Amino acid sequence: MSKIGLIIKREYTTRIRKKSFIIMTILGPLLFAGLLFGTIWITLNDQQSYTVLISDPYGLITEYQGEQDSTLVPRFPDLFRNNDQVIYGFTEKTQKPEGLKDGFYNIMIELDEITINDGKCNMYFKNFPSDNIQRKLKNDVQESLERFRVIDSLKLDYEKYKRAKIDVSFAEININKLGEEDHTQERAVIGFVFAILIYMFIFMYGVQVMRGVLEEKTNRIVEVMVSSVKPFQLMMGKVVGIGLVGLTQFLVWVILSAVLATIGLNYFESHLVNGAAVLENGAVVGNGMNQAAMAQSLMNNEAINWIFLINWPLMVGMFIFFFIGGFLLYASLFAAIGAAVDSDSDTQQFMLPVTLPLVFSYIVSAMLITNPESPIGNFFSIFPLTSPITIMVKTAIGNISVWHLISAMAALVVAFLFFIWLGGKIYRVGILSYGKKVSYKDLWKWIRQKN
Amino acid sequence: MKYAIQAEGINKTYGKYQALTNVSIDIPEGKIFGLLGPNGAGKTTFIRILNQIIEPDNGLIKFYGNPLQRSHVEDIGYLPEERGLYKKMKVGEQCVYLAQMKGMKEKEALTELKMWFEKFEIQAWWDKKVEDLSKGMAQKIQFITTVVHKPKLLILDEPFSGFDPINSELIHNEMLRLRDEGTTIVLSTHDMGSVESLCDNIALINRSQVILSGSVAEVRNSFRTKTYTLKFEGTLLEFTIALGARFELMSNELKNDIHTVTVRIKPQYKLNDLLTQVIPAVDIISAEEKVPSMHDIFVQSVLSFNEAQA
Repeated sequence: MSKIGLIIKREYTTRIRKKSFIIMTILGPLLFAGLLFGTIWITLNDQQSYTVLISDPYGLITEYQGEQDSTLVPRFPDLFRNNDQVIYGFTEKTQKPEGLKDGFYNIMIELDEITINDGKCNMYFKNFPSDNIQRKLKNDVQESLERFRVIDSLKLDYEKYKRAKIDVSFAEININKLGEEDHTQERAVIGFVFAILIYMFIFMYGVQVMRGVLEEKTNRIVEVMVSSVKPFQLMMGKVVGIGLVGLTQFLVWVILSAVLATIGLNYFESHLVNGAAVLENGAVVGNGMNQAAMAQSLMNNEAINWIFLINWPLMVGMFIFFFIGGFLLYASLFAAIGAAVDSDSDTQQFMLPVTLPLVFSYIVSAMLITNPESPIGNFFSIFPLTSPITIMVKTAIGNISVWHLISAMAALVVAFLFFIWLGGKIYRVGILSYGKKVSYKDLWKWIRQKN
Repeated sequence: MKYAIQAEGINKTYGKYQALTNVSIDIPEGKIFGLLGPNGAGKTTFIRILNQIIEPDNGLIKFYGNPLQRSHVEDIGYLPEERGLYKKMKVGEQCVYLAQMKGMKEKEALTELKMWFEKFEIQAWWDKKVEDLSKGMAQKIQFITTVVHKPKLLILDEPFSGFDPINSELIHNEMLRLRDEGTTIVLSTHDMGSVESLCDNIALINRSQVILSGSVAEVRNSFRTKTYTLKFEGTLLEFTIALGARFELMSNELKNDIHTVTVRIKPQYKLNDLLTQVIPAVDIISAEEKVPSMHDIFVQSVLSFNEAQA
């Protein structure tokens, strides 16, 4: 095996065998999946029940039923239904909120004389209700007020009014791709996920390269190493070895995540139907099962359909290319930093100019989600210090020409060759310089210095 | 004479700083060569140039008669002054890795290393992690990894620093044995005792220049001052009278009725002349030439060079 091959092998095997690597690699997707499904599970299984007092002194949503004003009931009995989680009570008196403290009710919703106009009412609570519960409460109050206004003020039949109401939605169609919906924004989000992956990878493993170089330097093994191999070989061996560790981790994550996602989705598909039923039962009256079925069909068709609008072979190809290119570029800079300093704490001053473009490209990528055609995105998806991250969003959206892609790739290749050369220059001198606090001026001297 | 290294007119600058100025050093084959000099004189720069870690600005280096080239790194073993190991690696793995870096095949490296580990009686360390080794243990491993590939030229920078006397002796003997087997050794050290006991030749670098070089015998010879140490019984007064003007009394000491004096003889005279002069006056017990130590030579050369420059 060639010497650089041996260096790559050492960097790779020592890291792969580390406990922290094994734990992170296996636990990473588990943690992520746990977090994701855990949140969903908690949301769906929020079993806390709430007793809700509706204070309605102006009789906006309540009325007395029966002879002699016996009981106060909702004006529309199909609304304000009690269920497992919500039990309603009604009063026409204004209640002091403090009364809630020792009382039977957790929540009080207070309607006043203007509520009928501006829809605003106070919600006093002992425990803040979950999103689902809030949705049910809001829905009940809102529809009740709406019906009251439609029937009482407008003197219309509510069913007719409902039929007259219309929801407008845009189907986005690119004139270059007639016959299909575009879903630009959803695609941008997918692109952003890939962008984050590259961003994370460059950062995590770039810093590992820096640490590795610094460790070799402070360990003083480096002088023995460079008496056997050229500094550039040592640096590239480390960069490539650590890059492979990153790729391995990424690959394991993809496989594990895919397995977990399949298991998780199967599990949740069965539970989601019930969950959705619970959820929708509360919010919309009557057609609970239909809603659940609809939600599921939505999940199966609509979502998956637009995902296929993304040019996946191109996406994966771009991902791998920019993943590797971006890492090589930044890792050589991180290696140069590790070589230039004597201790971890000294790295800060040189980290900023390296991390700045990384963070910036992250921000630009996030911005592209809301404004996919922004000309700023065009520039930063070619500029090599930001392109590895930004280009993922552009590719996912699909509004990118072949020339754009080719120039971005060419720029990246030129840039990483340049930065490897530059990093190598600093590395070569830096690894043998001890005890002096290095300034940017020194780095410039090193770059110009002959071997 | 055959040379392992012939360096001719080597210059090296770092920016404005002149690290080596027209340095020419010949290192004879199969000998131990002492590379001496104060801190910051340029020794490490010269050593790094031999190891091709850095390149000289100009000048020529021949390695066993041929211009120094990349493939020669495998014929050189280098133990730097600031040395270390990969802490997280196991000892055996680490040794094999470093041997492979010097061009050995894995199998070959394993056989050789096993031999060395037995010799140093450290077989039990093979699977230990480097970070669990003591400093002395790590030094032994470093020495082994420097010599395992049987280099023709061995460059040792302060090899004894940090070693206890037992291990120093071990390394000392290994160096002599390797030399006897034909290895050329460059020893860079401040320990003049080891220079005297090990080195055949030396070069003294000061302020980027070679200010003194040659075989240890030659160098010491050139620093002889015709000074002798005499021990005698009798009175100092009679001894001094007997000396006359031809001999200069440098120092004297009286212990248990025995005088120990140092006397410098003018160039045209010999020890015999001195003895003829003083024997009638006192009872001579012993007479011995006072040969300058490498330590004295080092200090004297550096100081007089620095004074001349100032």
